[in-house]
Amino acid sequence: MTDRIDAGPVEILLVEDNPGDVRLTLEAMKESKVLNNITVMKDGGEALLYLRRQGPYADAPRVDIVLLDLNLPVRDGREVLAEIRADPELTHLPVVILTTSAAEADILRSYQLHANCYVTKPFDLEGFTAVVRSLEGFWLSIVKLPRLDSDD
Amino acid sequence: MAVGQTESEKEIIRLKRQLSRERKARIQAEEIAEHATRELYEKNLDLNRANRDLEQFAYIASHDLQEPLRMVSSFTQLLAKRYRGRLDKDADDFIAFAVDGARRMQGMINDLLAYSRVGRPNADIVPVDANEAYHRAISNLTGTIEESAADITHDALPVVRAGNAELARLFQNLLGNAIKFRGDAPPKIHIAAVRDGAAWRFSVRDNGIGMPMDNREKIFDLFKRLGSREKYPGSGLGLAIAKRIVERSGGRIWVESEPGRGSIFFFTLPASDGGCS
Repeated sequence: MTDRIDAGPVEILLVEDNPGDVRLTLEAMKESKVLNNITVMKDGGEALLYLRRQGPYADAPRVDIVLLDLNLPVRDGREVLAEIRADPELTHLPVVILTTSAAEADILRSYQLHANCYVTKPFDLEGFTAVVRSLEGFWLSIVKLPRLDSDD
Repeated sequence: MAVGQTESEKEIIRLKRQLSRERKARIQAEEIAEHATRELYEKNLDLNRANRDLEQFAYIASHDLQEPLRMVSSFTQLLAKRYRGRLDKDADDFIAFAVDGARRMQGMINDLLAYSRVGRPNADIVPVDANEAYHRAISNLTGTIEESAADITHDALPVVRAGNAELARLFQNLLGNAIKFRGDAPPKIHIAAVRDGAAWRFSVRDNGIGMPMDNREKIFDLFKRLGSREKYPGSGLGLAIAKRIVERSGGRIWVESEPGRGSIFFFTLPASDGGCS
């Protein structure tokens, strides 16, 4: 974890169009022990611009991990995931699918597109908080995330 | 005209007339029958269409209702968690009612979704080992079984034609029902199956509170509940789902019961070794 502090906060991109879910995720992350910065994008197109630091996001920091909803306006989560994996600059990014869908077809498709994991949003607050905490514990504390040199 | 006709000639004419009248009547009857058949066929098509629409409606309604409800439920729970004891007694009460209402509605919507999913694609009717389905049901009910100290026994069960996951759900709902409506003694439940022509007739016998015979049809209706909500929580869909699963496989479900003397739920499912005619 000390490496983490040396390297600055973990940059999380949350791609989610439901403001309620955004708030729930932020509330659950509030008590996080890991220094982090969450940026929220409400549609897939904007999310890709942000990740590529294009347009209005030229000064955006490099993202360390993406929390991605599947059903999004403009470009949906599957398209965003496919684009990330097809882009040499982004392909290393850990992508966590966080969605209401429990459909077998969505789960299979997401892993075929090389999602790092697939999580169905639990229905109650306790479950949701527990999931966000576990994701945080696993992805921000336990695993090592790839870090590219901050400027190339 | 009658002059010179013999008796037998008159008889022949009379018979010919009668024959022609009968022929006309028969043609008329056939036309009526044909018309009625066509009408019945069209009514049947309409009915099938209406049923499909209703299923589609139930599916979409329950699926799409989940999303906003999840918001209501999550945020009232958050409100309860953060502000309990910090407003006043009334506020705590109101929040508790909202949380409870949202939780119950979630249960109902989940069950309605399960109900409308019976018979949807990937639930093909195939040969299913009822023993396996039974064990899956038991493992899903582990918590409830331990908590109620239920004693569940079963005979060797046959292979039948049903939806694979649906048969497990059928056992789960019937066992869950038997445990929920238990009396003062720990539940004792026995599952048996006997061959009945081309089908198997299953029975699920319990030692629960039973019910008056005039309720035995109603309990399979959607959202029908006989007990109070406080004492017997649930959506009132468990037996409706069970009925739908059985009927989709071409079987029948019914109950024999007496207040205070337990219930026996029966259902039939086609045997997998054919004989279906």
